[in-house]
Amino acid sequence: MSNTLRPYLNAVRATLTAALTLENFSSQVVERHNKPEIEAATSPEVLLHPLIVSRNESERVLIEPSVNSLRLSIAIKQADEIEKILCHKFTRFMMMRAEGFVILRRKPLPGYDISFLITNFHSESMLKHKLVDFIIQFMEDVDKEISEMKLSLNARARIVAESYLATFA
Amino acid sequence: MILLESHSIIIQDVLTDRFEKPSRMDIQFVDFDHVRFHLSTGESKTQVTLSMGIHCWPDLLKYGAREHLQNEYAGMLLDPSQTEPEYDVSIVIDLEKIPSSQEERTALIHKLSLFKATAMSAPFLAAFEEESALEANYKDPAGASQIDVEQSVDAGELKIVRYREEEAMYIQARHDRVTVIFSTVFKEETDRVYGRVFLQEFVDARRLQSLQSAPQVNYSNREPPLEIRHLPGLKNGEDCGYVTFVLSKRHFANPTQAQSTILRIQLFRDYLHYHIKCSKAYMHSRMRYRVAEFLKVLNRAKPEVAVVERRTATGRTFRTR
Amino acid sequence: MSRLPPLVIDNGTGYTKMGFAGNSEPSFVFPTVIATHQSASSASSNPTNASAGGRAPPPVASKPGHLASKRGIEDLDFFIGDEAVANSKTYNLHYPIRHGMIENWDHMERFWEQSIFKYLRAEPEDHYVCLTEPPLNPPENRENTAEIMFESFNVQGLYIAVQAVLALAASWTSSKVAERTLTGVVIDSGDGVTHTIPVAEGYVIGSSIKHVPIAGRDITYFVQQLLRDRGESAAIPPEDQLRVAEKIKEDYTYVCQDIVKEFKKYDADPYKYFARFSGEHSVTGRKYDLDVGYERFLAPEIFFNPEIFSSDFLTPLPEVVDTVIQTSPIDVRRGLYRNIVLSGGSTMFKDFGKRLQRDVKALVDGRIAGSESRSGGHLRSTGVDVNVISHKRQRYAVWYGGSLMASTPEFYNVSHSRVDYEEYGPSLVRRFSVFGSAV
Repeated sequence: MSNTLRPYLNAVRATLTAALTLENFSSQVVERHNKPEIEAATSPEVLLHPLIVSRNESERVLIEPSVNSLRLSIAIKQADEIEKILCHKFTRFMMMRAEGFVILRRKPLPGYDISFLITNFHSESMLKHKLVDFIIQFMEDVDKEISEMKLSLNARARIVAESYLATFA
Repeated sequence: MILLESHSIIIQDVLTDRFEKPSRMDIQFVDFDHVRFHLSTGESKTQVTLSMGIHCWPDLLKYGAREHLQNEYAGMLLDPSQTEPEYDVSIVIDLEKIPSSQEERTALIHKLSLFKATAMSAPFLAAFEEESALEANYKDPAGASQIDVEQSVDAGELKIVRYREEEAMYIQARHDRVTVIFSTVFKEETDRVYGRVFLQEFVDARRLQSLQSAPQVNYSNREPPLEIRHLPGLKNGEDCGYVTFVLSKRHFANPTQAQSTILRIQLFRDYLHYHIKCSKAYMHSRMRYRVAEFLKVLNRAKPEVAVVERRTATGRTFRTR
Repeated sequence: MSRLPPLVIDNGTGYTKMGFAGNSEPSFVFPTVIATHQSASSASSNPTNASAGGRAPPPVASKPGHLASKRGIEDLDFFIGDEAVANSKTYNLHYPIRHGMIENWDHMERFWEQSIFKYLRAEPEDHYVCLTEPPLNPPENRENTAEIMFESFNVQGLYIAVQAVLALAASWTSSKVAERTLTGVVIDSGDGVTHTIPVAEGYVIGSSIKHVPIAGRDITYFVQQLLRDRGESAAIPPEDQLRVAEKIKEDYTYVCQDIVKEFKKYDADPYKYFARFSGEHSVTGRKYDLDVGYERFLAPEIFFNPEIFSSDFLTPLPEVVDTVIQTSPIDVRRGLYRNIVLSGGSTMFKDFGKRLQRDVKALVDGRIAGSESRSGGHLRSTGVDVNVISHKRQRYAVWYGGSLMASTPEFYNVSHSRVDYEEYGPSLVRRFSVFGSAV
């Protein structure tokens, strides 16, 4: 792991753990409704300060806490055209299956590649530190996966080209 | 399966079956690159007609495809006037006159299953011939100044085969080589990116020691290569590219080699697209695996709930989801 | 230039049927099986506790970091269909479809990949594709299918049809069919299981579907058992027994109208009715032959009198059909009785349709007579038409129905096109447009 990744992930972990102090909160606007305030954005007084943890220009995490919900958006590293397309494919593939990932948002925030929405119901029914673990592990693995995918694409292309050209010999 | 095969499995299967036991049929099918086939029996079930509709037939005709087919399928090819309507070329196989020995039959079936490949090979063969002619006439230029003069005489006719609606093959003979250029168009962003990776590898793979005898490959994105730059209506944009194969003498030194080179190079585009699709399929399986792994990690955050078996009044078990 | 014909692919649990629209028979019929070169341990990573969503076990082809993925193209090293079976010694066989539904998407994707490029030799970018699905297929499965078809293969358009509906459409070729309707009961009997599926105007009535656990394979076993009981099987080499039983089932059997009479007929003149089967040992080439007797009419009889074969399923097929119709909404019942359609190889027995029609008719008439007498003769029924339709294309009815529909210009209107997919994404295929509604 490169020397900037560790502090980056540590910062995200610390911020996220601190921000994950959610409590049940009924809507102040609509009676008998209970909405994730960060998404509804109807009462500005329950929204807390959003925070960006950034490793470099392309890799950053936006954490937007509120009284009963937290939105976390990740921008994933994309060095070139191939990584960009692979990253897009991967996040899309995952968001297609958002049903299983209860905390995954079906659409990322503009400017980010993937977003999660954690409400107080999630943090109550799930272990908080494990939730944070999941996010951190996701961030770690997704970079690894994309660069591996890119490598394997190149390897495949090489084999394919070689086997084609070899038939001419 | 890495390499694609050149013959049509449907023709092979159906004819193998019908050679044994003639029966009525009326089958329509396709091959890569907008080729349509129609295999049918006429009034008698021993008269099998195989018709082919091929997108670039006008081009092929220009480069002697009909004559070539005439040679290959002597006695079976139908006149243009008798060709089945809506198709470009037809052959008739009389099941009463087929050879009786098993080997000869297999050979005939194999030849018939290469119908499309044979038609498509006409322009290549013409180019190979031209190359021989050019080589014979070619005088080694003594000075640098003469090269420029030679250049124009040196090149054979540029053959254009528009084998798909948006993509074409350009074949040109020189005194020492035959250049085949494919224009490629990718309809989708992903394909374009993958395609570029693949094409780049084609160029790089040639540098390997073991592949020195393979044709030289060039790939240019956007800009058409010199040979065809003068042609009107060439597209240049993000989504198209040009792949050049330089076939040298040894690739068509003898008829068998020429044949295998032609069969291989015709399928270049299909090969490329097949592998782009395979790669996408592979990426899908990687992603399925990875997503399942992530899900496992997330599910660890859910506290374990003891599963109690619940029963209805009749004693059947049930689950709530 | 003319449009290229759509690809029609019917992936069944046992066999895949595929070809081009407009033909009367599929170009390829082979087992839905894929042979891959992986260690068995990874392939069967306990599907029982696969992820909560019931998804297939994660792929193994690509265990990251594994040395194999460095080489890169192991996932191209596989065979499908007959070639897979032929290579089963050195490869592992997998059946990606279980009970009609796709279980392993990795294998299925590769199965399609080779079906299209090696066998059909079609560039999927140039074609529309018509696939089939079993009734009650979860929408997630359709989405996954669409995702693969559009994203991996870039198909121009996709239509996913319900098998039972296609079987109904295929029956339009029969001369017995007066009007082209998409209402009817489909009896689909393949190798593993028999389904009775009521369809009303192109929509499957899911709550009334019934399964009968008797199908082709059971008949083969039954034939084998009968041969053994009569001592005929002594002549057959043990490894060929199943194959011989299958051959006898396919070539000699028929459905009789009255089992007792048939027995008498055979006993009175065995020489006339007993058939002679001659086979050849598959390895040594030794010739043998045997008598085919009562199994000729007893084999398909297990549909009508299941007690002669099994002890846990005892409802005869005509009764199942009647129950299916009786549990359907009352306003479609007449239509259902009028149009009972057969599909699949195990409905191919001679006179199968006739017998089924007679038996269902008897049940219906009995019920009508009962209610007439209960009304004290005040009510007269006009009677209910019972029609069992069998036709020439029955064996590959589902595929044929697909071919028929995909060759109409209307097909292009009801399919989901690439443009739509790019606009809406995979959830597009949740919308179900009934084919032939305008017919």
